[in-house]
Amino acid sequence: MKKILIIVIFSPFIFLSCSKNDAEVYIPKPLNFDMPSNFPDIVYNLDNNPLTEAGFELGKKLFYDGKLSANNAIPCAFCHEQAFAFTHHGHTLSHGVNGGIGLRNSQPIQNLAFQKDFMWDGAASHLDFQPIIPITSDLEMGETLSNVIEKLKADSYYQKQFGLAFEDGEINAANMLKALSQFMVMMVSSNSKYDKYVRNEDNVTLSQIERDGLNTFQNKCASCHATDLFSDQSYRNNGLSINPRLNDKGRFGVLENPEDLYKFKVPSLRNVEVSFPYMHDGRFATLEAVLDFYDSGMTDNGNVDASLKREDNSFGISLSAYEKESVIAFLKTLTDNEFLNDKRFSEF
Amino acid sequence: MKITKIALALLLCISIISCSSDDEEDLTGQTGSLTLKFDNGVGAQDFIFGTSYNKSNNESFKLTTLKYIISNIRVKDSKGNIFTYPTANNVFIVDEANGNTAGEILITLDDVDAADYVEITFGIGIDQSRFLLGAAGQGDFLAEAQAAGMMWSWATGYRFMRFDGTYTNATVTDGALNVHMGSVGTSLDNYKEVTLTFPNSVRVRETASPEIHIEADIAKVFDGETSVNFSDGYNQVHTSATTTPVIANNMKGIFEVHHVHNN
Repeated sequence: MKKILIIVIFSPFIFLSCSKNDAEVYIPKPLNFDMPSNFPDIVYNLDNNPLTEAGFELGKKLFYDGKLSANNAIPCAFCHEQAFAFTHHGHTLSHGVNGGIGLRNSQPIQNLAFQKDFMWDGAASHLDFQPIIPITSDLEMGETLSNVIEKLKADSYYQKQFGLAFEDGEINAANMLKALSQFMVMMVSSNSKYDKYVRNEDNVTLSQIERDGLNTFQNKCASCHATDLFSDQSYRNNGLSINPRLNDKGRFGVLENPEDLYKFKVPSLRNVEVSFPYMHDGRFATLEAVLDFYDSGMTDNGNVDASLKREDNSFGISLSAYEKESVIAFLKTLTDNEFLNDKRFSEF
Repeated sequence: MKITKIALALLLCISIISCSSDDEEDLTGQTGSLTLKFDNGVGAQDFIFGTSYNKSNNESFKLTTLKYIISNIRVKDSKGNIFTYPTANNVFIVDEANGNTAGEILITLDDVDAADYVEITFGIGIDQSRFLLGAAGQGDFLAEAQAAGMMWSWATGYRFMRFDGTYTNATVTDGALNVHMGSVGTSLDNYKEVTLTFPNSVRVRETASPEIHIEADIAKVFDGETSVNFSDGYNQVHTSATTTPVIANNMKGIFEVHHVHNN
């Protein structure tokens, strides 16, 4: 009798607590992806991975979490610092777990939703799969996906957040990679001085030297650094001398097609002012050194892009001193301080 | 009546005696400030940005950035008492770029207990207990370190030092030199402490603010307890479990108290 009474007294509480939980069922808040009007079409298929606030937050947490690496101390952000357009500040090559040194200069993380493939040699053909390369590389994060997932499963934040971010709520590699993509897809740099100028916003104008630089750029550089992404996304050999210590054959390593020898992806030039050093191995510390190279430093390594051939059959892009100076002035108009300081993407 | 007078006189005598016998001042509750002056040099030369300095193995280096983190400063007095500066604020970046025209970087500690101090201990970098407070437990120093480029990401932790510039040797001219030693998360602990004795005691009083002039011989970072060569990979020191402990050990030996000012 007493037992029944106790049950009767407590049962309303049980019901109450149940209904309270029901009211707390999380409704995913969709995130809006703003298409800059001067950009080409988005490549990433958002239907397969709809952006939500919880998914983005989860991706950001993962991006800054050392658990993705073997020693729990080398997160993605180690080589991708926001203030330098998410590159590894000042490093020619990047450093990973156990002091490993990577083989290439870390690339900026920006406008990836508009890219067909990723890495200097295009080894990743889908954004969702790109993080597998650094996570599992011995020279970078040195982990396995299954081990990362084990670590995430033991963490109360991830136990909760995967549930909020994904319908099936599972802590698995697919969801982890989707969350990282959601974070990276949102990282759009489209509010530089140049952008505002071409979109006629805020009465932004370019100075004389910046306009001269833009003009030279359009005549001499834009066939490869095309569209307002400043890359035609092709792979080209730009006549860099071969560094015997690295002997990096570029795109050749992916398909082993001899025509791909020493070809690397044409990089975007957005935020190029802060993403030094330059080239796939970071050999040039300054933009001046880059333009000097194009003017007079190219070597014929056997497979140099035809578009870089001069009429006299030498390789290079002839640039006068003023052309170099003005092109650099123009390139600095591609610095997007809103992006570089955007709190949505920053660790703290 | 007489007895009372005598007693009073006696009391007076005692109090006078007790006063005069105490020829040491009573410092209870008294505090003052103490200034550490860090002065970076290379051997017998003052350190100057952009100047080329020779090291062993016919290598030379030029720096554009020179900074390091000092923390957990404490001083011991002549009686063996230790005064530790409050932990939350006991972490500093010694940045050559912030030096005065003499190239000295000043750290001033306020509210130091008045005493005659004989030695100082401080840490180079960030100890594990401070790191384990998490990003939220770092107070203002997190933002300060971030702005100064003294942090990797939080998971990796702080760069204890930043020597950036170029090096030259027989095969490389003006190669990139970046020595960013630190602990690596909780997997590698490179925090070190140094204790230096003062040539004469440092008198901290409410009315006296002594200065301790600490010389740091940068040459010993590369030619200290262990001599290291840029050609062997010490041109790039970041998170390696092999090279960073060697640099951390060498850093421990660069400091020396040159003199103190009591004023």
